[in-house]
Amino acid sequence: MSNRRMEKAETEAIRDVLAGNRDAYRVLMDRHFCSVTRVAFRITGNEADAEEAAQEAFLRAYNKLPSFRQDSAFSTWIMRIAMNTAINLVERRNRDLSYHAPRITDEPAAAEHTVRIADRQAGPEGILLNREATSLRQAAMAELTPMERTAFTLRHMEDIPMAEIAAALSITSNSAKQAVFRAVSKLRRSLTPVAGGLR
Amino acid sequence: MRHFSEEDLIAYQLHESADERAVAKHLESCSECADLSESIAETLRVFSADPVPLPNLEHNWHRLRGNLSVLTPERRGSFELLRWKWAWPSVGLATAALVLLTVFGMRLHRGGELNHNVAVNGHGPLTTEPTDLAIANHLDAAERLLTEVNNSPGSLDDTTREQAHNLLLKNAIYASNARDSGDLAQAAVLENFGRVLTTLDNEPPTPHSTWRLRLEMNTSGLLLDIRILRQNDDHSQGAAQ
Repeated sequence: MSNRRMEKAETEAIRDVLAGNRDAYRVLMDRHFCSVTRVAFRITGNEADAEEAAQEAFLRAYNKLPSFRQDSAFSTWIMRIAMNTAINLVERRNRDLSYHAPRITDEPAAAEHTVRIADRQAGPEGILLNREATSLRQAAMAELTPMERTAFTLRHMEDIPMAEIAAALSITSNSAKQAVFRAVSKLRRSLTPVAGGLR
Repeated sequence: MRHFSEEDLIAYQLHESADERAVAKHLESCSECADLSESIAETLRVFSADPVPLPNLEHNWHRLRGNLSVLTPERRGSFELLRWKWAWPSVGLATAALVLLTVFGMRLHRGGELNHNVAVNGHGPLTTEPTDLAIANHLDAAERLLTEVNNSPGSLDDTTREQAHNLLLKNAIYASNARDSGDLAQAAVLENFGRVLTTLDNEPPTPHSTWRLRLEMNTSGLLLDIRILRQNDDHSQGAAQ
């Protein structure tokens, strides 16, 4: 489907929602929920929080739909709301020490609220080889501040432009760039003791 | 020979460098910078292969749909309401309410040090507080707990009861702070929430006690108060867009 037809379908869906048809919102959700959840996952680092942030973002967007001027694409708008919501959620979680969302790990344990993402392509050997690398990555990522982690993952893993990241984080493009650079520098140093060739 | 800094090389590897050609040319002749650049590239490779779980669209849609209110064109422009004859009684009621609020507000003003936030859910106008991040977090936890209490069909589980126990002490402190700072709206809501927490902490875990708690404490009304406070907090911290 061409972009123009997609935009037309979305515009019609928005018009229907504003006319009182709640189910028309499903069109927008079907198109964008996966990408929104993926970005939220990059920011929150766990599946449960990613879905919660995506849910909240879609609910906020729905309630603000009457004021949505459509001078930007719905996808850009919802992504910005989702990034903001996910960042707020991470900050709330960090303050709320009593909360324990499931974390991603290689060895899931109910008592520790951890889950493992299925990798259907990896065999037993692959899993063994990946286990140590995964632990190292998690430990290194844990050393980053929420802003560094967010800026880095969105820029490097999701390829989102620096200006868009800056807008979501309410900082300047230069500050977003510096956050990414600091993140890469920290990650490189975290890997140094075990990576041999890495310096 | 002038070497490039680590930051320059990170920018180069992320294609954010202002002068990629100059860096590339330098790397061809400087093994020191080339090693550092390769180390950065290796770091980026290591952190680029995380799989992302796919969400269940059907489940998420049903969960979301339950929270969607019907949007109507009337919501887009409140002045359009005035065109309708049936709206005039509402306007009359709103005017009467406004007069009452003004009189009440003047009495409070004469009364001295009372804060502008007078309470919610039947106690007065909406508050513009809080702006404190800690209380915002507390309200968030309170909302989650009350939602759980409101929606649990039977007795509450141990996790919810433990959460209530943990919130009890913090809530007393926040309620006291709100009272001291003259924020009666927040203090009233938190004190009401404190009563629910105390009951939760002491009641035996039976379906009957949970039902009675919801009835006696009007947890749904309190939940609305908490949500209003939290929403005001969201507004005060800036909208998402």
